[in-house]
Amino acid sequence: MHIADLDRLQFSFTIMFHYLFPIGTMGLVPFIAWYTYRAATGKDSNAEKAAIFWTKIFAINFAAGVVTGIPMEFQFGTNWAAFSEKAGGVVGQPLAMEGIYAFMLEAVFLGVLLSGRAVGSRLRVTSALLVWFGSWLSGFFIVATDAWMQHPVGYVVDAAGRFQIRSLPTVLLSPWAWWQFSHVMIAALLAGSLILAGVGALYLLSKRDVEFGERFLRTGMIWGLVSCILVVIPTGDLNAAEVTKYQPIKLAAMEGLFTSEAGAPMAIIGMPDSQRRTLIDPIYVPDVLSFLAYGNLRASVKGLSAYKTELWPPVALTYYAYHIMVGLGTIFGAVTAIGVFLLWRRKLFAARWMLWITLLITPFPYIAHEAGWIVTEVGRQPWIIYGLMKTGAAYSSNVAGGETVFTIIGFMGAYFVLGVLCLYLILRLIVIGPNAAVARRLPA
Amino acid sequence: MSILAFVIIGVMFAAYVLSDGYDLGVAIVTPMVARNDGERAQAMHSIGPFWHANQVWLVAAGGALFALFPQAYASSLSGFYLPFMVVLWLLMYRGIAVSVRDHFANPLWHDFWDAGFVVSSTLLTILFGVALGNLVRGLPVDSHGYFVGSFSLLLNPYALGIGAFSLVALALHGATFSALRLSGPSAKRAQHAAVLLWWMVLVAYIGMSVATWFVRPSPFEHGMWVAVLPVLSIAALVFLWFANAAGEATKAFIASCAFLATLVVEAAIAMFPYIVPALPGSHGLSIYDSTPSAIGLFSALAVTIAGIALITFYTIIVFRRLFAAPVEASEPLSAPRIR
Repeated sequence: MHIADLDRLQFSFTIMFHYLFPIGTMGLVPFIAWYTYRAATGKDSNAEKAAIFWTKIFAINFAAGVVTGIPMEFQFGTNWAAFSEKAGGVVGQPLAMEGIYAFMLEAVFLGVLLSGRAVGSRLRVTSALLVWFGSWLSGFFIVATDAWMQHPVGYVVDAAGRFQIRSLPTVLLSPWAWWQFSHVMIAALLAGSLILAGVGALYLLSKRDVEFGERFLRTGMIWGLVSCILVVIPTGDLNAAEVTKYQPIKLAAMEGLFTSEAGAPMAIIGMPDSQRRTLIDPIYVPDVLSFLAYGNLRASVKGLSAYKTELWPPVALTYYAYHIMVGLGTIFGAVTAIGVFLLWRRKLFAARWMLWITLLITPFPYIAHEAGWIVTEVGRQPWIIYGLMKTGAAYSSNVAGGETVFTIIGFMGAYFVLGVLCLYLILRLIVIGPNAAVARRLPA
Repeated sequence: MSILAFVIIGVMFAAYVLSDGYDLGVAIVTPMVARNDGERAQAMHSIGPFWHANQVWLVAAGGALFALFPQAYASSLSGFYLPFMVVLWLLMYRGIAVSVRDHFANPLWHDFWDAGFVVSSTLLTILFGVALGNLVRGLPVDSHGYFVGSFSLLLNPYALGIGAFSLVALALHGATFSALRLSGPSAKRAQHAAVLLWWMVLVAYIGMSVATWFVRPSPFEHGMWVAVLPVLSIAALVFLWFANAAGEATKAFIASCAFLATLVVEAAIAMFPYIVPALPGSHGLSIYDSTPSAIGLFSALAVTIAGIALITFYTIIVFRRLFAAPVEASEPLSAPRIR
């Protein structure tokens, strides 16, 4: 294995594990802010318990997100020194801003929520809102950093060949960053909604904490449906429009399109074969890809064969990740639509089959999120900065492969223990439930 | 402009030392201050709402270094790959220990997490000290700032001495914070611990100042005014002694902050203008070698200065509200309460 591949393995493993926790925090925090606000009005008797319950689950996610997030920032320097040296003048800025503006805000005001001190309801509501703002702002700066690497804007190349910032607003206001950010945040809201609905379904199925079960399920279903729609139109669609415009090779890999076609079909299923340049056993919907990409059924879409093979991303991984994301999104849409329909007919809370489906679907938004990021990051290979720098030239050549192997093993061991611990703590909080969790004060 | 960038990063690292320093210190002195499960819980809860925010200074300072001196960021992090990874893992373990402790009811689990918290904090403090010692002493690096020696070189007597000094200095910082924020017998014990630690800090400070003279033979290369700094350090220490003896915990804590601040300034001046200093006789990476473009520098500085002002504004408001409520021994760390 080449040293760069070891660095990639470590980075992808640590970032995919880290990302599991921000999904939970970014997705749950709007609901926490809402319950905290409702509790402060004094008119909503069980909002206080709901707020405390979800804040505890949030806190575990946050702590794990922080301790796995710090290595992410420093790995740019440890494992990707060549990239850092060349691009630090640009990507360092949004990363520093993430720490200074977003992460600090989130940490300080989460401290208020968790302090157990009587700080007054106004400060409590303000804190919940600022934790929400901070956590989404954090997401924005990270996405903005990635967006620059996907579609570099607002930079200049200096005499030493390094990238320097030309205009910070251009970097931060790049349309790529905003569409990707909206897509990710709505997807986080979708994940949070489905977690809420899943926990609610569990309580209803086991006939306990019923008042919370109904509340979480109702809120989760409605917001789940809303975010299912928004995650496709407009955010997903416009995200794809940016890809079509600036990264046509990624689009071709996502769709498994090997030959350029006018009236290109969309493959619903099929297995890409890069050697023979064909899709095995496909099911096609004719002309749809052309329409989605260019708004015209007969438009010509370039296939992978139009590009040199060394510029291809790993086709199978990009293709499957994209299809898994879209397939899961479609399933979420169907489930939440049925759920909202049953809610409207006042049958949802008694429909055990539907409660089972809702419960079992809870882990899948995590898979959809990870798959989405695989499309984004694997699909832009071989570039680390699109069109400017290749991933194979970006790693730390002064770090030996053996060192990276050691730290990969270390991260895997540490994250295995951390994963088991977090899963145990969160599942136990769910089993304790909102009533008991508050009565006991201590979640133990 | 490059000097201003150096100062900004120095300020951020100083903020980290002063703020995360006290929660590291609280961990280090916990075995001396807290005798039972309830007292240890109280010690943990005294830093509960703050340590996350304190640690963000490290992330922010790292980000600022990335933005302003990318070459130094790249060369130092990749050059010291394994030591940095160990630091990251210790930070991870420490963060988990303090976050999940209260989720377990069994005192055996408390022992486990508290011990982990103390051990990881102690090791982190020593490692940070060793790193700082090596920066002041100078590193075996090439002209691009890339490390060319072996790691055994990093564990030289001078760096280990600074490691030990950091340990006692942050322990004293933590003891003054504990005397301020704890109540009952543990506060009293913290006050007594501060006396013992004070003597250790004094001895270590004088010893390491003399040692610094040997590794950096020209202390006055930036002018004679530098001589005022050790005087300020000693003055802060003396003030700390009297404040602690009089039971004025707030003043003692402020004096400890002032002492640490003078130490950071002394270290920064010893390094200046290098950001990755080399051993005497060769060239390291100076702030003029890896300057970002004027626009990049300007936007980074504007963003950083505005950010620090904003943070100062809201942390003062929030921490005053939080400090107003004393820590109870049985108060849960992670169980929010709404009234």
